[in-house]
Amino acid sequence: MHLRKYAAIAKASLEVIFVYRASFALNMVGTVFYVVAMFYLWQTIFLGSPGALGGFTWPEMKAYLLVAFLLNSLMTWFDEWVMGRDVREGRVAVDLARPIDYQTKRFAEAVGPIPFELFSALLVGSVVVFVFGGIALPTDPAHFALFIVSVALATLLKFSIIYCVSMTAFWTTGMTGIVVGRVAIQNLFSGALIPLVFFPDWLRAIAAVLPFQGLVSTPALTYLGKMDGPTTALMLGIQAVWAFGLLLFGRLLWRGAVKAVTINGG
Amino acid sequence: MPLIEAIGLTKKFRQAVKEPGLVGSLKHFFTRQYKDKLAVDHIDLSVEAGESVAYLGPNGAGKSTTIKMLTGILVPTSGSLIVDGLVPHEKRQQNARNIGVVFGQRTQLWWDIPVIESFNLARDMYEIPPKQYKANLAEFTELLGLAEFMNLPAGKISLGQRMRADLCMALLHDPKMLYLDEPTIGLDIAVKDSIRKFIRSRVEESGTTVMLTTHDLGDIEDICNRIVIIDNGKIIHDGDLAALKDNYARDRVIHFQLARPPESMAPICAGLPACELTNDGLSLSVRFDRFQFAAGEIAAAVMPYVEVLDFRIDEPEVEDLIRKVYLGQLTLDAPDSAANATEPAVPLGA
Repeated sequence: MHLRKYAAIAKASLEVIFVYRASFALNMVGTVFYVVAMFYLWQTIFLGSPGALGGFTWPEMKAYLLVAFLLNSLMTWFDEWVMGRDVREGRVAVDLARPIDYQTKRFAEAVGPIPFELFSALLVGSVVVFVFGGIALPTDPAHFALFIVSVALATLLKFSIIYCVSMTAFWTTGMTGIVVGRVAIQNLFSGALIPLVFFPDWLRAIAAVLPFQGLVSTPALTYLGKMDGPTTALMLGIQAVWAFGLLLFGRLLWRGAVKAVTINGG
Repeated sequence: MPLIEAIGLTKKFRQAVKEPGLVGSLKHFFTRQYKDKLAVDHIDLSVEAGESVAYLGPNGAGKSTTIKMLTGILVPTSGSLIVDGLVPHEKRQQNARNIGVVFGQRTQLWWDIPVIESFNLARDMYEIPPKQYKANLAEFTELLGLAEFMNLPAGKISLGQRMRADLCMALLHDPKMLYLDEPTIGLDIAVKDSIRKFIRSRVEESGTTVMLTTHDLGDIEDICNRIVIIDNGKIIHDGDLAALKDNYARDRVIHFQLARPPESMAPICAGLPACELTNDGLSLSVRFDRFQFAAGEIAAAVMPYVEVLDFRIDEPEVEDLIRKVYLGQLTLDAPDSAANATEPAVPLGA
């Protein structure tokens, strides 16, 4: 692996965020409103029924919402639209004429802004914590360590999912609809809107066989220590299998798409 | 061994055939029909290191398809292709290291970050040794005048500046082979000139092999010593520029500036059979085949009848020549007819 060249791409990608700082800031403001709204919504629900709800206490619920917010704040700049543009404008050809691997390049671009996104999310998160107070902390350092692993896997999984979905760019031109559709499905089935325990059984069964739970639910439940040891291991395993499996699948899709284009013509 | 060796190189595209209208779309949805299009049809091409080749042809002739196969972007349908000992599409990344590519219509620069950052990115992507990078960057910055916009993002510079920066980026890693796809498209004369000079200097000083497609014939005359013309996927001419001119650019025009309008055109016309004469008062032009007449003979035939103040001779334009080839008015695969015509066929005054 030629790490240096991809590190350089990641760095350039981070720089782009600073170019679009106003857009980034607005995006952030939007997320803050969203997270605050979610807090008030759940606060109302918990006020109506004191004690635990679906196994969550109010401090745990607050922690869950914050973790969801944190995960949704990472890799926000990477979406299917870029792939659509690359295909539409023939930039794929430019990339193919360079000594780089396309998927690794895209990964570097997606990862580049993460330090800054993490910093901003932690900043906003601490303000929210300050306002609402009383956040549940992991009871066990081991949970926290596993949580970090799970966040890393969730981030990779997010990349893999978006990368796979973005391959539709080779067959369709309207990427906006695809982005909106993916985000809607992802928000529902990842547990970002509502923890999956609140789902009816049949919907929970669907969520269990989809990759999306690994994006929010798994890391959040790991943080809270809601799962016993074996279950945690299993869930992290499922998360990893999806993350790496889809990564590989994305490579195959890309190879197939490029072959279709380079052999049969676009 | 030549740097590029293509034998029977062919690229066939499959195109969807669709009847017009909604019904056609529906029909196509259920029963797809395809038609094969031969974009590149069994071409043989051999390019030695250090050559500068103009690859010409009308739109859709197969130029870009060839370049894309040479760069490893497209997989050939059949035939063999070796570039610097590699099969480009099999060793795409390795091949990419040996080549520089400039697509006139697309930029390699990052849109949002300063030009210099794009160059630094190229340094890391091509793993250019720091010393070489520094030296090349300094030299190209000077030659291409990049300093004034080095710190601006690619999205904020003019097309001419962007092309110069793109050219620099394509050459920072000292590629053996430089592919240019319409490098001067849409540029003003001054920028065209500086770009041509720069490419020429790469060929002469660094021995870079250049292959360029263009519709701008100035590019050819300033940069290239060899012309390959492709039409309908087939190579219809391959030879050096001077030979092309010698063999096929037979028409010359002499313009005479006269003191008085000629009294009669008839005796002049009689002395110059098979020539095209045009006269509007004080100017007289004679179009002649230079294999038939020498310019002096034309002058000698005109001088007795008029008082000539001044005259000039128009050299054939490569542009006209190639236009004729495109239009099918000139067939380049019959060189013997041109060879036969070298003796003056009609003695003067006959």
